[in-house]
Amino acid sequence: MKNKILLIIPAYNEEENILNTYNKIIEYNNKNKENFDVIVINDCSCDKTSEICHMNNIPVIDLVHNLGIGGAVQTGYKYAYMKGYDIAVQFDGDGQHDINYVKDIIAPIKNNEADFVIGSRFVGDIDTFKSSFARRMGIRIISCFLKMTTGHKIYDVTSGFRACSKQIIKDFSISYPSEYPEPVTNAELLRKDYVIKEIPVEMNERTAGVSSIGSWKNVYYMINVCLSLLVIRIRRYKKCP
Amino acid sequence: MPLNLTVALSSFSIILFIVTTIILKKGRMPEKYSLLWYFISLVIFVVAVFPNTFSFITSKIGFQTMSNMIIGIILVLLTFLTMALTIIVSGQKKKTTLLIQEISILKKEINKK
Repeated sequence: MKNKILLIIPAYNEEENILNTYNKIIEYNNKNKENFDVIVINDCSCDKTSEICHMNNIPVIDLVHNLGIGGAVQTGYKYAYMKGYDIAVQFDGDGQHDINYVKDIIAPIKNNEADFVIGSRFVGDIDTFKSSFARRMGIRIISCFLKMTTGHKIYDVTSGFRACSKQIIKDFSISYPSEYPEPVTNAELLRKDYVIKEIPVEMNERTAGVSSIGSWKNVYYMINVCLSLLVIRIRRYKKCP
Repeated sequence: MPLNLTVALSSFSIILFIVTTIILKKGRMPEKYSLLWYFISLVIFVVAVFPNTFSFITSKIGFQTMSNMIIGIILVLLTFLTMALTIIVSGQKKKTTLLIQEISILKKEINKK
């Protein structure tokens, strides 16, 4: 039986990128006889993101109020859970992620080798855009911290290109951190004994628009993430039945 | 305790009592939260009018004067109150997020039909 796969695309003011991203997915589906479904979560954008989606028949959920990245992505997982999807892939609407790698990151889940797969810039030997030096240092520090608190090494802790199994879709639809969701969920899943795998992917620089993380917030971000990871270390976790 | 302080504190506690009652009467606070405020106003009133009831605690804990202890108690109370409010607000935020998500998904489903 073929797996039902959903691409969750959170979008905040992505009018310049969203149509392009969607068209690439459809093109890929047609070329490779795949049927990746798409759901755009429009996080109350103040530009024309919603209009563009509706005009071009892109499936979209318009949040009635801005929730931030965590709340928006969780809406996608809730939708995936309601509709009974087997695999959900988080995919950026800004052109950073390449649709051709989706098959690679869902493969371990299909083959029951992993519950959660992260598209990573720092494993394998693909020469790809790897972010600024400061950002890479930050990622390395969080990665070390994650290793200290969970005992597992994840190289690209902040990657937003991730695929998860049906069980994790259910977990995420029940609880998902509203802030710093990527590193925090990685740590939570490890504490719940899920198997996480990293697969090398290529990432592009944003094609247009501005990233949601401003550079001056980086130190504050680091402190918060490390604190969150510490809290996860002392919390008790059970897998959802 | 100086008389001025007694007057100031007791009138503060009476005002607190009246304000709480007015808010309750207008239905802008549920009864269960008002209990805390009534309790605080009662404690302040007792301390103001019968300072000697607590004077043995003052010296036990090591406060120099009664008024220092009162300020100390108020500080501790306010700290815990703020913490309780932080918890309440965080709970509210979670609920709002849930509502926004569910409404948005429902809206999509309705528009499709």
